[in-house]
Amino acid sequence: MITLSDISPQSRNRVNPQLLTAAVLIFSAPVWLPAIGLYQYIGLEIAIWIIYAMGFNLLFGYTGLHSFGHGAYLGVGAYAFGLFQHNIAVNLLGGLLAAVAAAAIAGFLVALFLSHRRGLYYALLTIAFGQVFWFSAIKLRWLTGGEDGLLNIPRPPIELPGLSIDLNDNVTLYYLVAVILLAALFLLWRLDHSPFGRVLQAIRQNEMRTRFAGYDVWRFKVSAFTISAMFAGLAGGLFAMAQQSAYPDVMAVHQSGLIVMMVLVGGGLVNFWGPVYGVIIYYIARDFLGGITETWLLWYGLMFVIMVMYRPEGVAGMLHMVKGRFVKPSKLKQLGV
Amino acid sequence: MSKTNISRRRLLTTAAALGGGAVFFGPWKHNRVYAAGTDKPIKIGITSDASGQYANSGASDRRGMGMAIAEFNDKGGVLGRKIETVHIDTETTPATGSRVAERMITREDAGFLIGAVSSGVANAISQVAQKYGVIYLNTNSSSPTESGKNCHRVKFVWDGNGSNFAQAAVKNAIEAYGDKWMLLTNDYGWGHDTANATKKLLAKYGGSVEDEILVPQGTRDFSSALLKLQQASPNVVAAAVGGDDQKAMRQQVAQLGMGQAPAWINNQQDWPDVYGLPIENLFGVFGTTWYYNLDLPGVDDFVKRYQAMYTDTKMRVPGNVFYNGYMATKNLLQAIERAGTTNNIAVIKQLEGHKMSAEERMQHHDAYIDPATHQVQQTIYLATANTGTKDSDDMFKILSNSAPEDVQDLGAQDSCKLESYEETATFDA
Amino acid sequence: MIQLLPHIFNGLTLGLLFALIALGFTLIVGVMEVINLAHGSLFALGAYFALTLIGVDPIADTAVGRWWLDQAIEIRYLTALVFAPLLAGLVGMILEICLRPTYGKAPLYGLLLTFGAALVIEEAIRVVWGSGEQYLQIPPAINGATIFLGTIFSKYKFFAAAFSALAVIGVWLFLEKTKYGAIIKAGAHDSEMVRALGYDLTKLRLFVFGFGAALAGLAGIIMVPIWGLRPHVGIDVVIPAFLIIALGGVGSFEGAIVASLLVGLAVGITGAYASAWSMMSMYILLILVLGFRARGLFGKASALEN
Repeated sequence: MITLSDISPQSRNRVNPQLLTAAVLIFSAPVWLPAIGLYQYIGLEIAIWIIYAMGFNLLFGYTGLHSFGHGAYLGVGAYAFGLFQHNIAVNLLGGLLAAVAAAAIAGFLVALFLSHRRGLYYALLTIAFGQVFWFSAIKLRWLTGGEDGLLNIPRPPIELPGLSIDLNDNVTLYYLVAVILLAALFLLWRLDHSPFGRVLQAIRQNEMRTRFAGYDVWRFKVSAFTISAMFAGLAGGLFAMAQQSAYPDVMAVHQSGLIVMMVLVGGGLVNFWGPVYGVIIYYIARDFLGGITETWLLWYGLMFVIMVMYRPEGVAGMLHMVKGRFVKPSKLKQLGV
Repeated sequence: MSKTNISRRRLLTTAAALGGGAVFFGPWKHNRVYAAGTDKPIKIGITSDASGQYANSGASDRRGMGMAIAEFNDKGGVLGRKIETVHIDTETTPATGSRVAERMITREDAGFLIGAVSSGVANAISQVAQKYGVIYLNTNSSSPTESGKNCHRVKFVWDGNGSNFAQAAVKNAIEAYGDKWMLLTNDYGWGHDTANATKKLLAKYGGSVEDEILVPQGTRDFSSALLKLQQASPNVVAAAVGGDDQKAMRQQVAQLGMGQAPAWINNQQDWPDVYGLPIENLFGVFGTTWYYNLDLPGVDDFVKRYQAMYTDTKMRVPGNVFYNGYMATKNLLQAIERAGTTNNIAVIKQLEGHKMSAEERMQHHDAYIDPATHQVQQTIYLATANTGTKDSDDMFKILSNSAPEDVQDLGAQDSCKLESYEETATFDA
Repeated sequence: MIQLLPHIFNGLTLGLLFALIALGFTLIVGVMEVINLAHGSLFALGAYFALTLIGVDPIADTAVGRWWLDQAIEIRYLTALVFAPLLAGLVGMILEICLRPTYGKAPLYGLLLTFGAALVIEEAIRVVWGSGEQYLQIPPAINGATIFLGTIFSKYKFFAAAFSALAVIGVWLFLEKTKYGAIIKAGAHDSEMVRALGYDLTKLRLFVFGFGAALAGLAGIIMVPIWGLRPHVGIDVVIPAFLIIALGGVGSFEGAIVASLLVGLAVGITGAYASAWSMMSMYILLILVLGFRARGLFGKASALEN
């Protein structure tokens, strides 16, 4: 089977063709979304969840650390954003920074505890911590609004010198999210392909050997978890804006399982772009199936089972193979694929 | 209901280049060109749960709306326009509720939204609906917050809430069973709200709270709590335990035979949750807003219409959830007729303060929509298990009925702040 | 005043029930190193099969159906107790066949496939049996209450706890004292050895997964009279089972049993003194134990750590 290390980054060019394609598609989305039968709000949610999934894959795909409680950090970010608007100031930048900072702190503290563990035990501890966060969100009603969630979170305008852009329209908010998404993609691209990213991949392949090579594996594991939690927190802050609420449900273990599912279906284990495909397919399949049948989960589950049986590398792996069939191997080698 | 929807749509497969050239098949798109003006059907978005904890109640709710809509379509629709529906599963998850509401309004062009069992979902939907000015009917969520702090100008709440039921039950139960009470409370918002309503009434009528046992949401084993209850032996246990927790608790109380002593005061028992279970599982006193065997004119006919329309459902008689779904939808459509327009503000004004006769609601007392909280003020019934019959459908014995004035949720008036008409976006369906 | 003793006793019976819930899950994780997230759905499926075997709903109006319903509930219940788990085991075997392409890959794929299967089974239950609450009949002899230690206990709880203890001992004896048990355990760690001994590894896996699924189904039949029966009843099963494995240590049967009793005690005693925390107590217990012991109480090295 192919892995992330087999599909190496394409080029060392400053101008990356894939990022460029992504940029074009992301920014033109409001134009073509209605034409293919979608609506702006779903584009907004997809963009936000891509940020979440991409950050998650730094931990999951690249470092090989299987967190099943990552929804907790998305939730922490959403609550932090909302609480900032309600209690400190109605401010966009402040809210997003608060979201990222809160998730970073939560992630860091959990990572301190987790990072000596591996494999199944690591995964189980992430679930246990995830449950603690979820449970607290429901229980601390004075702070979080309990099971009803934190409601009426405003969408603060973008404040630029001499200009204030209102975000109450879903299209405008989408453009803000699109800019942040692109920045996140760029950042993660650099991170994944930096020396730091290579150490993370080495940890996935063989933790012991990486340690013997002189790297402080524990520190890298803590960093990967914290960074990934920060992206989740950022996505959470944006999600709170999109929904104008923060709910405890996104922190439940079931929801945390969904992000794992999306990343795998998309092929996050074999390709940088995997999580992007995964999120898009999940949302569209759910929207599509949910609109025609009440038993949509049955069909979605079946699709998923068949996928894991016959195409475990996910969409990205499939694309890779399709490409391999059409492009001459010599050309591929040239491209570094 | 979703089936009627497929036929109206044409599957349009659109290949779009995405990412590295992925081909995907986008959802279909409406290709129907609406004739301008009044020929355009009125579209109602049905937002009830089809999966998750409340899937079963959601289905019942939907059948109720379906019957009301079918009745209107049979006589030619509303304002000469046919009524169409589209249903999307809200999954008993608030975040999904938001997304579904966005889709309903911005893509399906739904002019009205109806349906909820879970208060979290109702809440999420109503926030989106308020943003667009789309009228939303919360048919079946009995949380006091729905017409209290989370009320909205576009939202109307059709079910009785925990506070109404407590008003109906507490005073009578102190007189009948004694003043030494214990509370068994689900440790989340709804549970605490309901328990607090009970506590206030206990203080007012001279009952005492011996102890309050909190059970976390998701509890499946109540043995510790039941042991404590048995050790303390109060006169009355007031339980505010909801959802699946309540179902598990019922089973365990029945097994222990603790349903008779102490006396139990339960919150509302939704018909779809109890239908078909052994009668021992129904214990103590509980609330409801309607029962199919009420001895009132029109009820028999209503049940017959249900049976004629839904021949293949397991539930042979309609219950309170169906009733709320039906009544809410019917009253909305009548309000549109009275308003003579689908303009949201005009319809809201028709609904606010609207009086519904006892006869038309098939209840013992007249009902009205409180203009300050948007909750329907209606007859509240107390019931208990009906052990004296062989008819397995006839599970409830109705003990009492209270007029809306006597069971009003007094807290709601203070905590509900409706948005003004000016703050509410105008919208024409 | 709360008396402690009945609560300790109650916690231990709870622990035995947890052990039954986790039994099939432990077996499949321990022997096959597959995390079976469909465990909860198979648990529900077992109970639904029992429901149909006892009440024969689809053919209740035929001559055969009426004859069967005329039989004593004890007979019908025992029949269901034997055959419903076997049916769940069959479904488990189908699932194992689907799992085959994932062998030799990261354990994650097995976990994902079974997650998908869990969705499919739960939805299939909704389609076949409906989404409403149902009631599984039990013989009157094990229904009702009894007074013990001066407090009230449900007779069914005693039956369920005793049944769990028997099931646990039975599985333990099977694994430790029979030839087949030895082969199964060998298969876990040394598939070459199993092949060398002339046994078919494919069949062995099929059997183990089927057996684990049957145990899940059995747990469902036993637990459902306490929890009630609805299509998603199984979601409350997987997380405790997971916790028990991690607490006890992967690959340790004894560890899982000790962990079950600990979880039961934790839930039972917090239930008495700090009831709002009774659900949380098991997670806190896990965090505490794994904070000090990397592989749980009795864990061995396992491929699942990679």
